[in-house]
Amino acid sequence: MTDDLIRRGLSRRGLLQTTASLIGGSMLPAMPAFAEDKPAIGSYPAGVSGSTAFIGISVPRTGTYAVQGEDELKGYQLAIEHINSGHDLIKKISPKTSKGVLGKELKFGVADSAAKPNEAVQAQQRFISENKAIMITGGTSSAVAVALNKLAQREHVLFVCGISGSNDTTGKDCVRYGFRQNFFGQTAAAAIGPVIVREFGKNKKAAYLTPDYTYGHTVTKSMQDFLATAGWTTVTNQVAPLGAPDYSSYLLNVANSGADVLINVNWGHDAVLSTQQAKQFGVLDKMKLVVPYQVPFIARETGGLMQGVYAATDYWWTIEDKFPLAKMFNEAFEKKYGYKPEWGAENAYVSFAHWARMCEQAGSFNPPDVIKAYEKGETLPSLVGDVHYRPEDHQCVRPVIIVKGKMQKDMKNKEDWYDVVEIVPGEGLMQKPDAFGCHPGDYS
Amino acid sequence: MLKQRPFLIETLTAIGLIAAPFLLPHLGFAPNTVNRILVWGLFGLGFDILFGFTGLLSFGQSAFYGTGGFVAAYLLTRAGFSNVLGALIIGMIAAAVTGYLIGLIALRRTGIYFAMITVAIAEVFFFVEFNPLSDFTGGENGLPGVPTPSFNLGFTTVHFTNGWSLYQFIALCYFVGVIIALRIVRSPVGAIFSAIRDNPLRATAVGHNIHGYKLTAFVIAAAYAGFAGGLLGVLQAFMPPDAFTFDTSGQLVMQTAIGGRGTLFGPLVGAAVWLFLQDFLQAALGLGAAWKLVLGVVFVVLVCFLRGGIVGGLADLYGLVSGKRARPAAETEEEAEIETPQQAPPAPMQAKEVAHPAYSGPILKATGLTKRYGGLVANSDIDFSVNQGELRGIIGPNGAGKSTFFKMLTCEIAPTSGQIVFEGRDITGLKVTEVCQLGLTKSYQVNQLFTGLTVRQNLTIAALAELRGKFRLDLFRKLSGVKGLTEQVEHTLALVNLTRRADTPVSELAYGEKRRLEIGLALATSPRLLLLDEPLAGMSPRERVETVKLLKSIARGRTVIIIDHDMDSLFELVERVTVLQEGKVLLDGTPEEIRTNAAVQEAYLGGVHGEIAA
Amino acid sequence: MISWPNLVSQLFNGLALGALLALISSGLTIIYGTLGVLNLAHGAMFMIGGYAGFVAYQYTESFLIAVIAGSLFVMLLGVVMERVIIRHFYHRPHEDQLLVTFGLGICFVELVRLIFSSQSQLVPPPALFQGITNLGFMFYPTYRLAVVGIVAVALGALFIVLYRTRLGMIVRAGIEDSVMVDSLGINVYRVFMVVFGIGAMAAGFAGIVNAPVVSLTPGIGDDILVQTFVVVVIGGVGSFPGAILGGLIAGEIISVTSMFNPGYAYVMLFAAMTLVLVVRPHGLLGVQGRE
Repeated sequence: MTDDLIRRGLSRRGLLQTTASLIGGSMLPAMPAFAEDKPAIGSYPAGVSGSTAFIGISVPRTGTYAVQGEDELKGYQLAIEHINSGHDLIKKISPKTSKGVLGKELKFGVADSAAKPNEAVQAQQRFISENKAIMITGGTSSAVAVALNKLAQREHVLFVCGISGSNDTTGKDCVRYGFRQNFFGQTAAAAIGPVIVREFGKNKKAAYLTPDYTYGHTVTKSMQDFLATAGWTTVTNQVAPLGAPDYSSYLLNVANSGADVLINVNWGHDAVLSTQQAKQFGVLDKMKLVVPYQVPFIARETGGLMQGVYAATDYWWTIEDKFPLAKMFNEAFEKKYGYKPEWGAENAYVSFAHWARMCEQAGSFNPPDVIKAYEKGETLPSLVGDVHYRPEDHQCVRPVIIVKGKMQKDMKNKEDWYDVVEIVPGEGLMQKPDAFGCHPGDYS
Repeated sequence: MLKQRPFLIETLTAIGLIAAPFLLPHLGFAPNTVNRILVWGLFGLGFDILFGFTGLLSFGQSAFYGTGGFVAAYLLTRAGFSNVLGALIIGMIAAAVTGYLIGLIALRRTGIYFAMITVAIAEVFFFVEFNPLSDFTGGENGLPGVPTPSFNLGFTTVHFTNGWSLYQFIALCYFVGVIIALRIVRSPVGAIFSAIRDNPLRATAVGHNIHGYKLTAFVIAAAYAGFAGGLLGVLQAFMPPDAFTFDTSGQLVMQTAIGGRGTLFGPLVGAAVWLFLQDFLQAALGLGAAWKLVLGVVFVVLVCFLRGGIVGGLADLYGLVSGKRARPAAETEEEAEIETPQQAPPAPMQAKEVAHPAYSGPILKATGLTKRYGGLVANSDIDFSVNQGELRGIIGPNGAGKSTFFKMLTCEIAPTSGQIVFEGRDITGLKVTEVCQLGLTKSYQVNQLFTGLTVRQNLTIAALAELRGKFRLDLFRKLSGVKGLTEQVEHTLALVNLTRRADTPVSELAYGEKRRLEIGLALATSPRLLLLDEPLAGMSPRERVETVKLLKSIARGRTVIIIDHDMDSLFELVERVTVLQEGKVLLDGTPEEIRTNAAVQEAYLGGVHGEIAA
Repeated sequence: MISWPNLVSQLFNGLALGALLALISSGLTIIYGTLGVLNLAHGAMFMIGGYAGFVAYQYTESFLIAVIAGSLFVMLLGVVMERVIIRHFYHRPHEDQLLVTFGLGICFVELVRLIFSSQSQLVPPPALFQGITNLGFMFYPTYRLAVVGIVAVALGALFIVLYRTRLGMIVRAGIEDSVMVDSLGINVYRVFMVVFGIGAMAAGFAGIVNAPVVSLTPGIGDDILVQTFVVVVIGGVGSFPGAILGGLIAGEIISVTSMFNPGYAYVMLFAAMTLVLVVRPHGLLGVQGRE
């Protein structure tokens, strides 16, 4: 058939148009009637034409970030459960919520990203095309977050970012359709920098262990920039691939570098392994360890190696005596899952709660309306006090918590790993909105 | 082989691609999955040409997939290039150039070495992508934000966004890919690819520069991989670093083997099975991570029991049901054997035109030819000369160095010392391919046929070497477009009395027929000097008589040298005989002189008299 | 940039890595040399050795038993694999042998993933070798130090088997000329089975010995497999001394490059392989012959 058409002089382009119209014709009746008087965009309104709204979740359940991914997933599940049931904690954050979001029950699908952008993008494309996901989430690796940012912008589906520490996520790779709640390289460095300069002094020599992707590069850069202002120098920066099985050659370089402080930017299981091996190669006896971007469960998994170590984090459960919402969250989480939540779960919970609030305020799932609700920049409650989203780069302005690993003898219970040293307000930590080259792009 | 009515496959492909969006959703395929299958299918078209058709198993195709993908994605996301199709094509060219350079190294070795080297080279690309080039490729981040194609047609802009809309673009790319691949495998180059897969030694010996053709297949596969890699970026708005991983190469290999190698559509089928099972086992059966185990087991079982994969299996089944390939039983063959002698013997075949007709000395002259293997001397200081048009026999007891001598004359092995002059030209140290192109070739003592092909295809491959030279890139020419090919093949078929068996696969031939085809392969290259290494070996007495007749007709118009143990037949055939013993020339003379020579009697004939009598 | 203490440390670390690579590669190479089959499941067998030892350790808490169990289990697996599947592929094209061992490797990896999940598992080093040793010029984990010795002993044992026993003689003769061995009237198939078992055991042994150094994941063998290819290509396919030389060279290249930039370690390794291929296509200690 095709050959005949071509031989009769019909161009391929003509054929293509024929095909296109055929398909177009066949697809049109399948389109649901418009639920609201808004133009269709992304999975809206198709995704919310029924009584439910679907969320695509991709977290690493295998690979080097698996432990953190599971914790994060629990935060998402708890948030969805609370939103669907109209839990008190959700109502504290999103007062208009009754049950579900805009009366729609939330459904969700979970895919294992293995912290690989490719897996995450594939899974989310499926959730968008097959489940008509109205919102997607994922992270734990900033490479995933950045890739999903771009996917969200292309597909016009809102992306509420999971754990992502890279400056790029709301910097040079920011998008109109992406939002981030948690702290990141710049704010971590600005918050922990003064603390470690105070502790270790000026003009010190630092060695870095950096994972080789956007998160590692930007966090290391932010730390280097900040510490340079106190006269610190970098004697070596050991860049390792994600999921490296052995850090011996990196650590030998560190051990022989003459550094005073080892700044370990590795994350997930990489952080655990590199810290354990640093001990084995005598590095931790020669120099002080700093973890600028805290890793959930690292204190437990390294078996005491975090004692006396400074780290910056998004959330630590013992702040509950200062923040009542944190106490509510800890109790609800521990009741359901049997342990104290770490910051991955906190970020997951809060970012969903914020999204629910924005949808309620917009009165619609229509993405441009929801985005504009975020961009109003109003003050919102969170588990660590009041916060707000910056309209320019969609980054949440929120405090950073500085913790220090407790000595075993000081631990009050088996999950009392850290002392909260300081809760640094977010406003002063942030770079100028355009400093990292954010151009968010269009609404449609 | 894909031999069908003209354009049948193309048409079916087009119909399939057009029907897919209407049918596949009912089978539970999402548009994204279908698009992904097509990208793998396109990737696999090139790989199948390399592996299925040419027989080169590469575990390093990810290098080219990634190269093409990242070049295209870089142009589109970082370099401000806006033409998606243009970027894909530039990516494809980049991958092809890379393939050429890698091929130069990897194709230095064959078989297992080749597989290992391709794995290692692909790993280099992976690490290079992550480190030296991470500023361009984004390292672990990959390159997000790849746009979708849109074409300005003047009156309107067609924009392929996602799902079935993007499908149209990808399907069109796949369709073009299929058309090109079909043209290639049906071209003379495609025929030679199959020859290399089946018997690289013989493909070389009939005068093809197989290194050049292997490199061609490698570059074609790289180009397909590069284009498919670019499409992957377009498809998922993101060019993943995973494209460079060993897993990518491994998945391609497995999909191709599952679907069926050497079928072009095998990789597509394999990808469909793979992605369908992945979804189905994970979602419907809730098997989670076990899906890959199931696929692995399926793969191993298929490799063990169904070498042709799913497509190959279906083709066999179809053949079985339709009875199309029911083997002619042995009896019919006997009949054919008996019938044939009654036919008029075909006219003698013309030998290749002489390059410099003025030359009138001996056609072949070897002086001081010596071959040593370590301490062992196989041939020692042989002087040997044959005149134009002569029919010469060589005899000698086992281990006299006859075959080694032949191998040196055809330049299969290089002499330790000495000189070989063919038609006044020094050919010492040339390659066997070049010598064959000059008009000197041999038939083998042990059959060296293209066993996976039919008789006609076998002869076609040999004839192509003569008609096209040792290397030529007529990738889009049809076989029928090669001038003189049909005539030469038909003529050779008639000459070796295999016309009735022309479309029979070699594996189904009787031994005597294979032997004749062996001679036919040498003959189809139109040699002026033909060496026959024991052409009568293993034949029944009746077959010998027929073959001697055949040899006589072959010898008209060309020079022939024959090694054989069957003295009676040989002495009947030839004009002069050279006797080799212990790697040296013992004697040279007419059959009558040899028969009566005392030295030969004693040294040779006496010892094996029983054998001669038999 | 070059500091002597660091160079010495890295050279030593390269020796440790190289010894392990040498052991795994020698398993691959004697199988290939004797049977003519390149076992693409070799990396998976390395991984299974680790897991089998891990299971044994769970039950017995004895590292020694873990090592024995890991090695024997993989040897058994190798023998079964040879008898049930590989045997039928001796007369099929190389490509099919590659495909089937590749597929088996995937099955092994996925089976382990199914049973143990993708989470990494830990086998602690034996109590005897726990802690850190101060070598004067560097601190080195005691167990890693012990691994160098253990691997050296294993290679020595393999050497004795290959060069001081009748079996070894047959194996080495088979590498030189398999047709000749056939004609000696030896039951080649039994030899093949034993060789496959020994080769697999070398991988399994390396797997469990290496387990305390890195954490076990199902994918741990994949990278190792590619590195052993490089080792074997550098040293010469089928050559036992070549595997040892290649292993040590590979280990040192990785470590010394790591001193400047670990990111380039593998790029340099593969560059070295390419160089060898161009200059000496059959590898440093390889002989012309089998392809």
